[in-house]
This record gives sequence, C-alpha cells and structure tokens, in this order.
Amino acid sequence: MAETKKWAMVIDLDRCTGCQACVVACQAENNIPINEEKDFLSRRAKQWIRIDRVWEGTWPNVKARFIPVLCQHCENAPCEPVCPVYATYHNSQGLNVQVYNRCVGTRYCANNCPYQVRFFNFHDPEWPDTFWNQLNPDVTVRSRGIMEKCTFCIQRIRRAERTIEGRDGGKVNDQSLKAGNYMPACVNACPTNTLTFGDINDPNSDVSRRARDPRHYKLLDHIGTSPSVIYLKKVDPNAPEEEAH
Amino acid sequence: MKISRRNFLRLASFSTLGAVACNFFDEREFISQSPVQLPEDLVTGRDNWYATLCRQCSEAEGLVVRIMEGRAKKVQGNPQYPTNLGGHSIRCEAGLQNLYHPDRISGPLLRQGARGTGLYSPISWDQALDLLRGHLQAQTDRSRVLTVTGPLRGSMAHLTSAFTDAYGARHMAFQPMEDAAYDQVMQDVLGQQTSPTFDFKNANYVLSFGADFLGTWKAPVQFSKGYGEFRQGLGRRNRGTLVQVDSWFSLTAANADTWVPINPGMEGMLALSIAQVIISEGLAPQDRINQLTGGQGSSALDAYAPNIIAQQLGVPPLHGTEPHEVIREMARGFARSGSRSIAIGGSGASAHTNGAFNLAAIFALNFLVGSVGAEGGVVLNPPAPVPELAKTISAASTGEWHRTVADISNGRTGVVMLRGVNPVNDLPGDIGLQQTLNRDDIFVATFSSFMDETAEMADLILPERTPMEDWGDDVPSPGPGFEVIGMQQPVVNPLPGMNPMGFADILLQLSREIGLDGATPLNMPTYHHLLQDQARKIQALERGSVQNANFNSFWNSLLQQGGWWDRDATADSDPSMPNLAEIASRASQPIITGRTDGNTFNLIPFQTVSLADGSGANLPWLQSSSDPLTTVAWTTWVEISTLVADAIGLKEGDFVRVEGANGRSFVAQIYHHPAVPPNVIGIPVGQGHTASLRYSKGRGENPLHLLGLPLEEQTQSLAWAGTRVRIVPTGESSPIPKFEGIVPAFVPNQEEAIVKVTRG
Amino acid sequence: MQEGKILGYRRINRDLLRGVFENPVKYWAIVLFLGLVVLFAVGAAGFMVNRGIGVTGLNRPVFWGFLITNFVFWIGISHAGVMLSAILRLSKAEWRRPATRAAEVLTIFSLMTAVLMPFIHTGRPWRLMYWVFPYDFSRGIWPDIRSPLVWDPSAVNTYLLSSILFVFIALVPDLAVIRDRSSGIRRIAYSVLSLGWRGTPRQWKLQAIAGILLSALILPVFVSVHSIVSWDFGMAVSVNSWHSTIFAPYFVIGAVHSGVSGVVTVMIFMRWLFGWEEYVRREHIDALGRLLIVIAIAWFYFFAMEFLFGIYGQEGDELATRSLQIFGHPWGWLFLTFIITAFFFPVPLWLFRNVRRSFLWMTITTISVNVGMWLERFIIIVPGLARKQIFTQSWYTYAPSPIEIMIVAGTFALVLMLFLLFAKVFPLIPIFDIKEGQILTDEIKVGRRRVPAVIREE
Ligand SMILES: Nc1nc2c(c(=O)[nH]1)N[C@H]1C(S)=C(S)[C@@H](COP(=O)(O)OP(=O)(O)OC[C@H]3O[C@@H](n4cnc5c(=O)[nH]c(N)nc54)[C@H](O)[C@@H]3O)O[C@H]1N2
Ligand SMILES: Nc1nc2c(c(=O)[nH]1)N[C@H]1C(S)=C(S)[C@@H](COP(=O)(O)OP(=O)(O)OC[C@H]3O[C@@H](n4cnc5c(=O)[nH]c(N)nc54)[C@H](O)[C@@H]3O)O[C@H]1N2
Ligand code: SF4
Ligand code: SF4
Ligand code: SF4
Ligand code: SF4
Ligand code: SF4
Repeated sequence: MAETKKWAMVIDLDRCTGCQACVVACQAENNIPINEEKDFLSRRAKQWIRIDRVWEGTWPNVKARFIPVLCQHCENAPCEPVCPVYATYHNSQGLNVQVYNRCVGTRYCANNCPYQVRFFNFHDPEWPDTFWNQLNPDVTVRSRGIMEKCTFCIQRIRRAERTIEGRDGGKVNDQSLKAGNYMPACVNACPTNTLTFGDINDPNSDVSRRARDPRHYKLLDHIGTSPSVIYLKKVDPNAPEEEAH
Repeated sequence: MKISRRNFLRLASFSTLGAVACNFFDEREFISQSPVQLPEDLVTGRDNWYATLCRQCSEAEGLVVRIMEGRAKKVQGNPQYPTNLGGHSIRCEAGLQNLYHPDRISGPLLRQGARGTGLYSPISWDQALDLLRGHLQAQTDRSRVLTVTGPLRGSMAHLTSAFTDAYGARHMAFQPMEDAAYDQVMQDVLGQQTSPTFDFKNANYVLSFGADFLGTWKAPVQFSKGYGEFRQGLGRRNRGTLVQVDSWFSLTAANADTWVPINPGMEGMLALSIAQVIISEGLAPQDRINQLTGGQGSSALDAYAPNIIAQQLGVPPLHGTEPHEVIREMARGFARSGSRSIAIGGSGASAHTNGAFNLAAIFALNFLVGSVGAEGGVVLNPPAPVPELAKTISAASTGEWHRTVADISNGRTGVVMLRGVNPVNDLPGDIGLQQTLNRDDIFVATFSSFMDETAEMADLILPERTPMEDWGDDVPSPGPGFEVIGMQQPVVNPLPGMNPMGFADILLQLSREIGLDGATPLNMPTYHHLLQDQARKIQALERGSVQNANFNSFWNSLLQQGGWWDRDATADSDPSMPNLAEIASRASQPIITGRTDGNTFNLIPFQTVSLADGSGANLPWLQSSSDPLTTVAWTTWVEISTLVADAIGLKEGDFVRVEGANGRSFVAQIYHHPAVPPNVIGIPVGQGHTASLRYSKGRGENPLHLLGLPLEEQTQSLAWAGTRVRIVPTGESSPIPKFEGIVPAFVPNQEEAIVKVTRG
Repeated sequence: MQEGKILGYRRINRDLLRGVFENPVKYWAIVLFLGLVVLFAVGAAGFMVNRGIGVTGLNRPVFWGFLITNFVFWIGISHAGVMLSAILRLSKAEWRRPATRAAEVLTIFSLMTAVLMPFIHTGRPWRLMYWVFPYDFSRGIWPDIRSPLVWDPSAVNTYLLSSILFVFIALVPDLAVIRDRSSGIRRIAYSVLSLGWRGTPRQWKLQAIAGILLSALILPVFVSVHSIVSWDFGMAVSVNSWHSTIFAPYFVIGAVHSGVSGVVTVMIFMRWLFGWEEYVRREHIDALGRLLIVIAIAWFYFFAMEFLFGIYGQEGDELATRSLQIFGHPWGWLFLTFIITAFFFPVPLWLFRNVRRSFLWMTITTISVNVGMWLERFIIIVPGLARKQIFTQSWYTYAPSPIEIMIVAGTFALVLMLFLLFAKVFPLIPIFDIKEGQILTDEIKVGRRRVPAVIREE
C-alpha cells in the first residue's frame, strides 16, 4: 500500500496554560529517566516536550507566555544530514526517527537542531528497582552516550497500525487513534486541548482543520526546516497592533 | 600458526592488552543489536486499559490505566468521564509512582523505639488488627477515640461516618490549607451544599479574584477543559476574556488577558466597587438591582465608588489607565457579557481574616448579571441521586483543629486513627500537633503507605492499599453540573512482597469484631460488596449512562465506563438573591499580622501545579517537574520582585532568612520574578518534609510554619495569605535548580524576537 | 645569503645524530615528566569512557566544549609542517632546511592527537566503526556522506597518510646514515627502513622527484583538511556564530598562524635541548618571524571580516551570540586575552628585527599566539552553542570539568613526548638537507675567482 500518511501536530498557544501535564505524560510514556536535582543544576534535565515561559513587558503590565516545544519533525531537518551514521533519519510518514542502536553519540545533531529539543544521555538512566515495573515495554530504555528526543510516540502509532490495520482491518484515523488511546501521550494528557495530532495528508482530520486557522505559523520558519508542528498564535487583546508578517 | 613459546607469549600479551582495554567498556555495550529490528518495530505484548479514579487530589478524576503483564504502565484521563473528559494533571501521572514507590511500607508495623525515632518491627495483620481492636475496646469513654481522614465523599464517607457513629468516636477531616470559608459562603450566598462549577466553555467574561483555577484551585483539570474552549472553542463567536484579580502572579494571572494586582485581602472591596459601577451606571436590569440592594440602589455602595477606594485597593495603573478607570472597565466588561459572565472568588481572596466577606461580595456579582444557573455562568450541582452517596465530610477549619489539638494535649483523647492525611507536617507549626502526640497515654494508629511525618509519630502503622489496588467510588465535587458517580476499581494486584489492606475493609473487619455490624453498611463482608450494594441502587434509577436489567452486566459496564452519569439530571434549585447592602455592611479590612520592620513583605504561600499541598512530595515525577513560571524544581524558592531584589541587592540564588510572624524562620533561595508585586513575596508550599522518604526528605521549607495562626473571622479557616514576613540576606549563594537557562537576554531587539516565538 | 659557519660533514653527522646516539639526562627527565602527564590524561580519558560524557562540563545546549576546541587546535598546529616544507621546498627557500623535518613531524603527531579528541568524546567510542568505516554491509546502511563528520575522518586520514609518506621520503637518506653508524638489531631495523639506500644518483633523483611531487600533491590536501574541519561548524545552520561561509579560508589561515608559531617554538626548544646552535640560527627565526607577520595580518583580516559578516545582518539572535562573545561572562575577558595574545601582542613586536632575532622573545611571542589561537577556537565554538536561536530558556553556559582539563593538558604532553621519542630514533633535522645546503654555500677557486661549488639550474 502506498504510504500516504504524514503525521503532524497543531499547538494552539491561545489554549496552553503552561500546566506541564504534557511534560510528565511524555516522561511516563517514554521511559525518560527521573530528572534529579543535579540534572537541573548541570542543565541536563530531559523534557522531550518542554514549556518555554517567555516574559513580556514590565511590572505591572507583565505577561508570561507559554510555548510547548517538542521535536518539530522537520521535513528538512538540520539534525538529519549531520549524523554520520543515519541514527536520525526521516521516515516515509514524515517522522524524524531516532534509532538508538546506531547512535554513536557525536551530539552533532543536537548542536544543529535549532529548536533545542534533542537530549543526550550523559549518564546511564537509573530507577529504584520497583520503578522498573512502570516502564513502558514498548519503548527502549536508552543507555548512556546516545541521543534521544520526541518521537511523536511512534510506539503508539505502530501499535495502532498493528491493531487497527493489521488485526481489525480498519483505518488509522482520528477516531481510531482517540478510541484506542493511540494519540501521543502529551496530546492525551493536555487538559485544555492545546495539542492536536493526526494525519495532515487527510484534509478532514482535526489536525488539518485546525492547521487552516488563520493564526497558524511555524517556528523559526526562516531557517527553512519546514516543521511538521504548526503553531496557532497567542492572542493578546492588549498588545499594540502588530504589523502583518 | 605454530604455537612456539614466542608465539604463545605474544598471544598472551595481546589478549591481556585486549582484556585491559575492554575493561573500560560495559559488557552490555558489546552485545550486538539486531540489525533488522529497529526500536520502532519492537512492539510486543497486548495491553489493556482499565477505567478507575485518580486519587492524587480531591478532584478525583476519571482515569484509564494501561496494564501490561500485571503492571500498571501509564495513566491517562478517561475521555468519557464528564469532569475531566480525558484530560489530566501532573499529579495524576505520579499516581503510578505512588504505586511502585521504593519506600512503600509493605506490611503492618509496630513501634519499638521512642516516638519519632522511626524504629518499627513488622507484625502480621492479625496481630495489628487485634492490637487496634484491643485499644478501641479498652476505651470506656468512646469519644476519646478520634478518627482523622481527608475530606470524604461517596461510599467512603458513608462507611466511615457509619463506623464512627456506631462506635461513638469523633471524626474530623483534615486538609492542608483548608477552605472552610468557601463552603460556608456557598451555603450563605448560593444556598448550595454542593460546590458549583463554572461554565467557562460558554462564558464570555471571567472575573476571577484570587482563584488559581488553572493551577491548583478546586478542579483545575475540569476548569482547564472549559478554559480551552473559552479561548478558542470551535464554533465560538468571540474569544472569552479573562481578568484575574490577584495579589500574586498565579498561573491563572499569567494566562489572563489582564492581571489586576491588588493589595492582599482587598478583593471583596473591589467586588463592591465593581458592583457600585454596575449599579450607578445602570449596567444591570433595574429590578435585579432593587432586589439585590433591598431597594437602596447604588446608595448602599457609594462608599465603594472607584474614585474613592481605588487608592486603598492598591491597584496600579495598567497600560496607562488610571486605577479607578481600570475598575470601571472591569465592571463594564463584566456587565456587558450579561449572564455569560462569571465572578469567582478563590482561596487568594478567602485566605484572609475577612475571607468570608470577600467571597460573599465576589459571588454576589454573579446575581447582578444573572449568571447564576445560566449558560456560561455559575452552574449549580445537584446532590448525588443515591442518598447513601450524598454524604460528604469536608475538612474542619484550622480553628477547630486548634481546639482539637488542645483537647488532645489536655488528655481527653486516648486513640487517634489517621488515614490519608499528614497533619503533623501540614498543620501550622504553632498548633503543635507533633508535641501533643508525643505522650504515652495516646495510642496513634495510621493507615499510611509511607513513613511520613505523621506515621513516624504512630504506635501502629497499617499500610492501606494504594488507590490503584483498591475499590472505591466518588461523587465529584465540584461536579460537572449534572449527576455523576465515579467508580474506582483495583487495576493491579500489589507487587509480590507488598501486603497492604484496604482501609474500608479494615473498618468492616473491625466492625464485625467489635460487634458494630448491626446494619448496613457495617454488615457488609467487604467493601466490594458495599459498592455493589450501592450500584444496585444506581441500577434501580433506570436512567443515565449505564442501564441494564442484569446486575452483572450493569456492574461490568459501570466499571468499564468508570462510572455512571445522567446529563439530564441537573440542579433544580433557584437560590434566593443575597443582599449586597447587608454584605457591604460586613465589609472589613484584612488584618495582616507579622513584622513591619526592615524588608518586610506580605507572604503569599502558594501551591504549585506539581507538588500542590505537598502530599505527593515523595514522588520524583512531582519533585522533578519544573514550576511553570519559575521553572524551579526540587526545592523551595522565594519569589521576589526583580525591582525590589535589585534595590536590596539580592541576586538570584542568594539565600535569605525568611522571618515569620511567629518568630520562626528558615533559609531559602531567591528567585528574581519580574511579575511579583513589590509588596509581596511568594513561597511555594509542599516541601519541608523531615520524614525519611528518599525524594522529599530535607528538601526546602514549609512556609505555612511561618504564619502563626491567623484565622478567618467568621469560619475560623486559616488566613494563610495575611501575614507579613521579613527577609534578611545571609550572604550565601548557590545556583538554583531550574529548567530555564541562566543567561539573561539583554540585546536590544531580543525582546521582539522572543515575542515572535509566541505570536508567530 | 646564509649566515653561519661552514661545518664539516663529520661534524654535521655527529651534531644532528646527537639525539639518536646520545642520552642527555635533561632529555630523559623531560620525557619522563611528559609521560606522567600523558598517563594522567589517559586515566582521565579512560574514566570518561567508563563513566560516560557526564563527567565533562557539557550540557544542553553546549554539547561540544574543550575536546572539540582542542581537536580544532591540533588540526591547526598540524598545518604548519606541510605548509612550511611543501611551500618552502617548492619555492626553494634556503632557510627552510633545519625547519622542515621538525615541522613535518609536528604535523604527524598533532594530527594523531587531534583525531583522538572527537573519537573519545563521542558517547559510545567503541562504535567508531559505524562512523568511520563503511562496515555495516548487512543492513545496507553506509555512513551518511552528507555529514561533515564523515568528511572529517576522510580528510584527516588522507592528510595523515600523505604526511607520513612525505616525512618518510625525506627520511630515507638519513636513515641510511644511521644504518651505517649502528650495529646489531638496530642496524637491521634501519636497513629495512632505509629501503636499501646507497646514495646512487638515480636514488637521489628519485628521492628529489618524490619529495617535490608529494609537496605539490599535499598542498590541496592541507587546504582541504582545515576547510573541512571548519565545515563541521559552517554547515550547522542552527548555530548563529558557526553558520558562516568565510569559515574555510578563515580556519586555514588561522591554522597556519598557529602552526608556524608552533614550529618556531619547537625549533627553539630543539636548539636548546640538543645544542643545535649552529643549525637553528637567528636568521632562521628571523625569516619565520617575517613570514608570521604576513600570516598574522592575513588571519586578522579574515577574523575581522568574519565578525563583520556576523553583525552586518543585524539579526537579534546573531547579535546575542556576538555580544556574548565580546561582553558576556566569562567570554569577555577570554576574548580580550585571545585578541591580544594572538595578534596585538606578538605582531607589533615582530616588526622589530631585534625581537625576531631573539630566541627568548620569539619563544614568548609564538607561545602567546598559540594561547590566543586555542582561545579563538573556544570562543567560536562555545558561545554560539550557549545562545542558540531565540529560545532564551535554553540558553546556558559552559565550564570544563577537571577531566576535560586533564585530557587537554595531556594532549600537549603527548605531542611533545612523541616528538622527543621520534628524536630518539630519527634525526629531527634532515642531515642530507643540511649537507646539501652546505654544498650550495661552498665555494671553490676557479682561477682567481671564488665561485659557488654548485651552480643551480634555474
Ligand atoms: N516471543 C517469544 N518467543 C519465544 C517464547 C515466548 O514466550 N515468546 N518462548 C520460547 C520457548 S519457551 C519455546 S519452547 C520456543 C518454542 O518455539 P517453537 O519450537 O518454534 O514452537 P511453536 O511455534 O509452538 O511450534 C513450531 C512449529 O511446529 C509445528 N508443529 C506442531 N505439531 C507438530 C508435529 O507433530 N510435527 C511437526 N513436524 N511439526 C509440528 C507448529 O505448527 C509450528 O509451526 O519458543 C521460544 N521463543
Ligand atoms: N497455549 C500454549 N501454552 C503453552 C505453550 C504454547 O505454545 N501455547 N508453550 C508451553 C511451553 S513450551 C512453555 S516453556 C511454557 C511457558 O510458560 P510460563 O513458564 O508460564 O512462561 P511465561 O509466561 O513466559 O513466564 C512466566 C512468568 O515469569 C515471569 N518472569 C520473567 N523473568 C522472571 C524472573 O527472573 N524471575 C521470576 N520470578 N519471574 C520472572 C514473567 O513475568 C511471567 O509472569 O508454556 C507452555 N504452555
Ligand atoms: S526539531 Fe530538531 S530534532 Fe526535530 S526534526 Fe527538527 S531539527 Fe531534528
Ligand atoms: S548523536 Fe547520535 S544521532 Fe546525533 S549525530 Fe551523533 S550519532 Fe547521529
Ligand atoms: S509526541 Fe510523544 S514523544 Fe513527543 S512529546 Fe508528545 S508524548 Fe513525548
Ligand atoms: S498540557 Fe496542554 S495546557 Fe498544559 S502545558 Fe502542556 S500543552 Fe499547555
Ligand atoms: S487534578 Fe490531577 S491529581 Fe487531581 S484528580 Fe485530576 S488528574 Fe488526578
């Protein structure tokens, strides 16, 4: 069957409250090691999706803006061509895939990702024995020395394909992804429905519909990365009129 | 090759060298990985998702839990459950770590050493229950037994109060930073026993006074669901406007279109001022105004006209608009949206000596625009359809706790049983519960799964099952505006070696053994039976989301769906109008206690979205998730206005001593915060644990211990926002653990670029 | 015109083979000290491989730090050898003779040291073969030739192999000299190495042609190596201070600047160590000093242009990086140190003949250049990563850990130690070349006139 899917995400900044539920949901789904105090102090904490908080203005007219940033699954990903061993490559469904086996840990890809969403395993991950029970068996536990990042929860996509297409003979679409808990963990968690995930090649999918919102833009588009994550602008009624972009 | 001596030596030295070289590497690294199976293909095994309830906070949302090979792997919001509709919070995820925490107590423990030394020896359940029963039966005056639980709802409230009533014990519910004033005002102003919810989804204008409803107030996930639609709901005509009146920069203030800073405790006055504008400008229907003011019109409130009190309120000029004009704009905006406006008073407004007045004045605004019970307004909740489930036990006020602890120390208590609470840590230190429990004529039993501060004072620890291993039900509060009953089922068995017992089952067993099992619910063999008994009553309603004539099928669907609800069963009460003139007559200034000399600030203790009240401080996912605004994790920080800190000469990461109103003090690190008003400092609660749990011990400090005992005048709840503290630099400094970088942005046009990130 | 005495061939042989046949205590003391430093560094590197990159000061976003800086630095040093030998040989500069071999050997050892850096700094160094060699046939996955990290090893390996060949060709006649003066196993070894050199005209001719051919062929390689190293950075679209088209020539000329300075330092060091006062003379360092003035000014021009290109666009994030480089802490004072030590201190001094002819001053100034050039690489690499793009929340800084400092210190000791050990086995100044120089300056009497003994065919 010809591959026609292209996975994409729409992030509506006007809905995001910065609550961090998506961050921990990703942590739990993807076996991300516990970010200890020393990881924060040495700046090696891993959050595949992070909520950047941006201050705007001065007291008392100060604002905090939140923007969830995860791997943008760039169509023209700067992280890919610099990897000497094809540990990060583009697959036919528009995903920027990270193959842990192959990675030798040069960290070049992380330098060349403009969105700062690649995380390096400086140490081996550690959990107390009992916490191993909660690890997701569908996701590799990354050993030290390799790079990792948001995968758009590829294990869920694969499970959906196996279950829905393979076993039940159905089609992977918005409804089936939702019904089977196959949406990415962060999307499922978000209490404000900031995040929408789906197949952007399907014009009727939620993600396509929301991507057509006039507020849409792409992060650092000028670099030419052509991200698969589409942002919808934050609306600020108090902001001075902006010039059209 | 011929093995000559030379060759042999050569080979030997090569292999020695090789072995030495290989020693650098972990053996695992040499295991060759399959060249075909890339991780993206490695999908094995079957999973199941079971519906249950989240018990990590009082919101108790519907969850689905992913189970593989008998282990819980992931929790997610139950998309069908009406309060959270699939969403969830950080704390919810951390429920898994509660289940698999390495510090969980595996079985009953009996104290060996002195109290607080943590020396316990394991005993069997039979021994433990015998011991507890012995102490209960030994009490001649049964009111000498005090049962302490968290706030309870549903069958657990029913069962626990039946037990304590039958036995004759006292029962009190405890909650850190309880909000007794709120419950009182809901009764006084809205005439409701149940908490209302707010129809953000359809609202156009939300005026929130100190309610951090997107952060931790009441039901943040339920409210966030509505908030998302409020902003950009599909098919909405216009984007809702959120104005947050807050004396501190809460997460909700951060998300508001306008944040109106205000002097702490002045929220009620501001509400009266807004009412004055609406009335004097005729922005609401005249008959409603007459009803609300007892016919007095605006004259009852003229003392609160914006020009007169704006100065007192401490509202700064915003975007070049004068404070009194800011208030007028708020009033007009609020009135313009009519019944699609909501005024909410939250804990920031109620945690003052005049808290009940503040809330009353704020909630009365809803009547002015007719939003009570309207679409896009304040939605009242019906009581539970089954009387046995309607019982709620809400938290006792701090004033009540003060009296109770005095009672204990006067020797009028013989047995204290605590379940699901940690008052030794969470009550203000001045109440002195820890010292009070430290006496020999009291028998203290806890049902805690962890050796927390309260468990360390106990004689007997009977670890209960964690929520994912136990049965339960719930009537959510606030509900979604219609009848909902949530079902909690065990989704996994305890790990091998873990031997907990359900709290409800313990109560039932004790009832049988003491002979209290005369009537339902105490005569049920197990809690499971009790829940099925309740389910039969729900089945008998023959309406709602689950209906089936066959009980087994009904029960299975109930568990599968995670509960029962009936969207048509809404509240029918029509609350009578409060009297604004009467409320205004009760108006009072907040009494702010504490120091006034030196660098003093109004202390705002606040809950973060991760640790909240601190009951999950031992869960690493909560400790490690960075605070949304400061990005700090793992510690306690002091949020201070950048302007003020620069003036005092404090840099980020500097340690300061925070000296409280009661002579207590602690040392914490400074966080430079551009949005904290100059007259306040914010310190998160939730840390400061001393019990030996690996992720929380010795981390940070608990600002509630600095307060003394300021109480709300009418309801005796803790006025935690009404204290002044002094900060004294210690001269020490170290980096603060946070997610954001340390490099400040200072290039002139940098701000433009940053703004672009969120505005495209 | 050359200065210096006319020395007999016997004297030349004795002097220049002093390193090989004599064992001054000074020499062994130094080698021992260097060996200890290297041992510590090997320990540190072993610890790093064992524990993971976590023992460094690296973080997100600064994923590259001291070791990559050091890699670029040593690649730079390696540029002097071939550049001096090849260019000077092709241009028949007379004063090159004592400098060529030391320069070439410096090339080889600094290259070898340089390639160690990216190798040990990867997260899983034992997977080198995935990266450097196209070994993974079974999967059909070959190294990605789009990656500058694949160009790097190819260029560096080519350069290393050709440099070794280059040195060897020039070494053959000298090896024969040693062969003739040694006995036993040593003699056998040198016999093998000297490839049956008998000094026949045909052999001399072939050796000369090979030298010239290699000189010509190696020049493009030398230009390519540092160009390619610069593309490790230039190709990174996301890092503001890296993504620059001028990087290739800028890096090459920078490499020559630090490399030639390094050669001067090393020559003066050899002169002191082996007592080669008659061979490394003031006119040599004077000539190198003059060359350095030209190189330094060319380098400074590229440096200024690179900076100008950066700020000319007036892009916020680029400016943020630039201001961090110049004003930020701790980069500000490092930048000041760099620009003074690499340019403003040495270059004005070199304008004075007395300085150029002073061994002490030339030592000080050339070491100064390399301090500055090390910092230059550091300041290019790290601040750019520290302030990547507009995500201010991810901006950070970097400080090396003791492990990284030990490894870097160890590389200096390693290069010097290998250099000295080389001197134990081979003459560091080409004997035949010096003799050839002598012949060229010899004069004979023809009738009444004294004329050069050899007329060069020009
Ligand atoms: N993923 C996974 N892999 C596993 C295991 C696991 O649990 N999970 N378990 C492991 C274990 S414990 C075992 S024992 C092995 C078993 O692995 P296999 O020995 O491969 O077992 P099966 O796949 O059960 O059977 C092999 C084939 O024998 C055929 N067969 C059945 N009866 C007969 C007969 O009478 N004669 C002949 N000629 N053929 C017959 C069946 O149709 C089948 O095609 O798998 C191992 N591999
Ligand atoms: N229908 C059907 N039945 C079969 C077979 C079949 O092909 N079809 N095959 C048969 C054959 S060949 C076999 S071998 C059996 C296998 O049957 P079982 O022996 O039951 O094997 P498993 O189900 O693979 O694993 C048993 C349990 O061991 C746990 N476990 C894993 N590692 C450890 C450990 O280190 N310590 C402890 N204590 N527990 C661990 C696993 O989590 C799992 O719960 O099944 C037989 N039964
Ligand atoms: S966001 Fe970064 S990691 Fe993801 S595809 Fe783009 S460049 Fe690669
Ligand atoms: S760190 Fe891994 S994925 Fe990234 S470039 Fe190096 S080998 Fe490739
Ligand atoms: S899509 Fe999956 S991997 Fe990516 S951020 Fe969301 S939860 Fe994490
Ligand atoms: S869960 Fe949703 S609202 Fe919360 S931070 Fe993430 S994207 Fe924003
Ligand atoms: S707010 Fe979070 S912890 Fe509380 S019930 Fe909801 S999901 Fe669970």
